[in-house]
Amino acid sequence: MANKNTSASMKTRERLWGLAFITPVVLQFLIFAAVPLTIAIVAAFTDWNIVRGSFEFVGLDNFVGFLNDKKFWTATANTAFMLLPIPFYLVLGVLFALGCHHNTPGNRIFRVLFFLPYVSSIVAVVVLWKWLFNYEYGLVNQVLMSWFGIQGPNWLGDPDWIKTTIVLMIIWKMIGITSIYVHAAMKNIPESFYEAARLDGASPVRMFFSITLPMLTPVLFFLTVVGIIGSLQTFVEVQLFTTDGGRNYSAGTVTYYIWQKAFVSSEMGYASAVAVMFGLAILAVTIFQFRMSKRWVYEGE
Amino acid sequence: MSEEPITSSLTIERDERLGKSWRTSSNRRRLGLGVAFVAMFVASLSMVLPFLWMVSTSLKSSKMVFTFPPQWIPDPIDWANYAEIWSVVPLGRGLLNSTIVTVLVVVIGTFSSTMAAFAFAKLDFPHKPLVFNILLASMMIPVVVILVPQFAIYARIGWIDTLLPLIVPGMLGNVMMIFFLRQYMMGLPTELMDAAKIDGAGFLRIYWSIFMPLAKPAVAANVIIVFMATWNDYLGPLIYTHSPKNSTVQLVIASLTAYYEEQTDFPIIMAASAIAVLPVIAIFVALQKHFVNSFAVSGIKG
Repeated sequence: MANKNTSASMKTRERLWGLAFITPVVLQFLIFAAVPLTIAIVAAFTDWNIVRGSFEFVGLDNFVGFLNDKKFWTATANTAFMLLPIPFYLVLGVLFALGCHHNTPGNRIFRVLFFLPYVSSIVAVVVLWKWLFNYEYGLVNQVLMSWFGIQGPNWLGDPDWIKTTIVLMIIWKMIGITSIYVHAAMKNIPESFYEAARLDGASPVRMFFSITLPMLTPVLFFLTVVGIIGSLQTFVEVQLFTTDGGRNYSAGTVTYYIWQKAFVSSEMGYASAVAVMFGLAILAVTIFQFRMSKRWVYEGE
Repeated sequence: MSEEPITSSLTIERDERLGKSWRTSSNRRRLGLGVAFVAMFVASLSMVLPFLWMVSTSLKSSKMVFTFPPQWIPDPIDWANYAEIWSVVPLGRGLLNSTIVTVLVVVIGTFSSTMAAFAFAKLDFPHKPLVFNILLASMMIPVVVILVPQFAIYARIGWIDTLLPLIVPGMLGNVMMIFFLRQYMMGLPTELMDAAKIDGAGFLRIYWSIFMPLAKPAVAANVIIVFMATWNDYLGPLIYTHSPKNSTVQLVIASLTAYYEEQTDFPIIMAASAIAVLPVIAIFVALQKHFVNSFAVSGIKG
């Protein structure tokens, strides 16, 4: 009887402690995620303006507004362009991981060096790139001129080049981290697979495409999903590289568009409408990827 | 672990037949390694040279940057930028603010996250799976969707242009970290807890003296990630702070750049960037092994 009592009170204590332990993160979720999300959805249908202090229901006006704004569509196209780095850094990341995997001399040092762009803050990296790609005095154009006799483009000022410059920078920043993920996955492939293939006289190239690559599909899937979600929200690069999204809005992305509407012109309701719509689009893209994943991702035995 | 001994012990016949091709394949392997080394060397250079150029530029006087051909080792080396920068912009203040934010988020946030991870992994309480799944789903909410309302909430409670929006949410925990640590702790034996309970240990003791030490490698890995993300954050400070006295180091550098770019005074900008990057690179190099593991651990199980 006494024993039963203590075990019952033990259970209660466990429940209370469990709830106490999760309280901070639940509070965080409620205050900084759930409430803001609700506000965003409601605000999308209002003329909320934090400066004027308005918060009136306006139906679908905001949605009609941005769907008829040419700038919004330019931003959408620019956002799609920002997906371009993903295949490049995935391929280069896999190649680099292969290099590390086969115990190439110096691979430990190489790995550390490859990580430098990723650990450095985006601000420092952009500042550095602005200097390297400076039209007149940047190292890149100076090298292009003196080694190849080519006059390099105006990487930062030319509306046709600014997006490419951003894409190059993202590739450069992401190769190292990609290779770390891929390399970790490579280490998990059972050596016995390769032994069996070698007995059958399979070439290294054949082994890569028949064993390594299929076994890497889960990590490549993970990196693609995370990469797409991240790329679609490209903002900081645009904000740091350009003023006002670049000439002719040549680099403005959807997130940049939302930020400008909300924090430059204080149209919070309008910005919320774009944001909610855009959030749903990202969700749809992600769900679509999970659906498609069954066709190419290895799921284990 | 070379391939030869394993296979040769298996079939002698094959051994004879393939003997020759093995020799060539060993040569080929050497060639392959050579090619890989050169490729990786070149690739690494492309990663490092920009940073060396950053340091090189920061040690030049503002006129020297326009010399052609570019000078890698400045002559003379000019440290003036590193002395001057502190009085030009509130860089010291920025470093201090970044340190305050990062320390609070990393230290207190780690407690919040590990406690929650422990509870989700080992304790029984009402609606546990539901709460956990809701938290997981919340990771799917794009930042841009909740940015505007968050700003409005901070404005309402008077947190705009303070460091609080950068600190308080982070102190309450990090869902990503909870997720990975829960996975890790679920792999630890529950019997340890049962034994401790019989000895009369409370849940706080069990968390702190049993599970935290065992989860140390995973915690360390996550701490590094959170540290890096917090120190390098630019979006938060950009939106929530305005005045120089509340700027973080990233914001100071960004505003410095905007100002000095027009005067093309790149040396001083590079000096400031080098100072901002240094703490992270130092910590990264020191904890390099944990760091690489941290991504390895977090990436695969997800």
